[in-house]
Amino acid sequence: MLGEFEYLILTAAAGLGDKAYGAAIREEIEAATGRKCSLGALYTTLDRLEGKGLLETWMGEATAKRGGRSKRMVRVTGDGAKAAKGFYDSVMRISRGVAWVADKSGGAR
Amino acid sequence: MTGVGWRCVEAAASLLEEREREAVLGDLAEAEESVWRGMADVVGLAIRRQAAPWRSWRPWAAGFALAWPGSLFLMGLSLSVSHGIRRWMDAAFSSGASSSAQDLPILLLHILLLTAGAWTAGVVLGAVSRRTLWVSIFLCCLPCTYCMAEFPSGVLQSLCLFLFLVPAFWGVRLGLRGVRLRRDFAVILAVGLTLAALPVWRSGASLFWSAAMIWPGWYLAASGRSRSEKHI
Repeated sequence: MLGEFEYLILTAAAGLGDKAYGAAIREEIEAATGRKCSLGALYTTLDRLEGKGLLETWMGEATAKRGGRSKRMVRVTGDGAKAAKGFYDSVMRISRGVAWVADKSGGAR
Repeated sequence: MTGVGWRCVEAAASLLEEREREAVLGDLAEAEESVWRGMADVVGLAIRRQAAPWRSWRPWAAGFALAWPGSLFLMGLSLSVSHGIRRWMDAAFSSGASSSAQDLPILLLHILLLTAGAWTAGVVLGAVSRRTLWVSIFLCCLPCTYCMAEFPSGVLQSLCLFLFLVPAFWGVRLGLRGVRLRRDFAVILAVGLTLAALPVWRSGASLFWSAAMIWPGWYLAASGRSRSEKHI
């Protein structure tokens, strides 16, 4: 089963599609969670996910905005999508009926 | 990304592999991060990368069960060989050929043991701890530095302690290239080194020091290739 951060990376990468790379994934995660995401955690987790065959990475184009440096592009594999869906389904199943899900206003009863 | 601060970040990024350095510095430039956050990101990633191999048993075994005790053992053997050579040369040039011929087989055996032991340890060190080789080298240097400081009796005599380094470096090179020995040859090597190390253990040295000479040979035997496998 995936970890929470692994799920966030897979989901952010899948959402970004062809534009998924280090800085963009980090921006997505920080925007969604409201927490800082270190590049150390991001890149080591990318390696781990790639090792598990859940995503693929390759060096992409260099842009002037990046000081002429290349991007590490990311693509979620079929296994990655399956693992992320499994994690999402588990979270949804276990969350059924709990206070913060039932209470749509967001506050605990 | 200009200024002294970013120069420091770029210098710190040299700890990363080339492709990763490229991607990380590019990400930082694109996100227009502050120097402090950039430095924290780069240093944090470098620390994670250096720490990652230590989750495995391999660098621990290479450093603390081979490089450190093995260098002490091999230094002693180097000293014994260099004294043996000196004694043999003295005997050859003063007493004549008969007494020098008596010492020669033992001296040759010691040279063989030193070469085989250091070479085997080097191969295993290179194969087992590629990414943490610098730590193993540091742990190997610790006893060497201690001995040089403790017995500062001339450069030549100090160098005699390090005869083992030549076959050891040769072995490390092979180990780094991922060379696998033929299993039958590796077993002969392992048996030879075990038989040679056992008297040392029985003479009072702890099993820990003797084991540093024994296990590399058996590791090579276990990971060796059979006759039918092609050489890698």
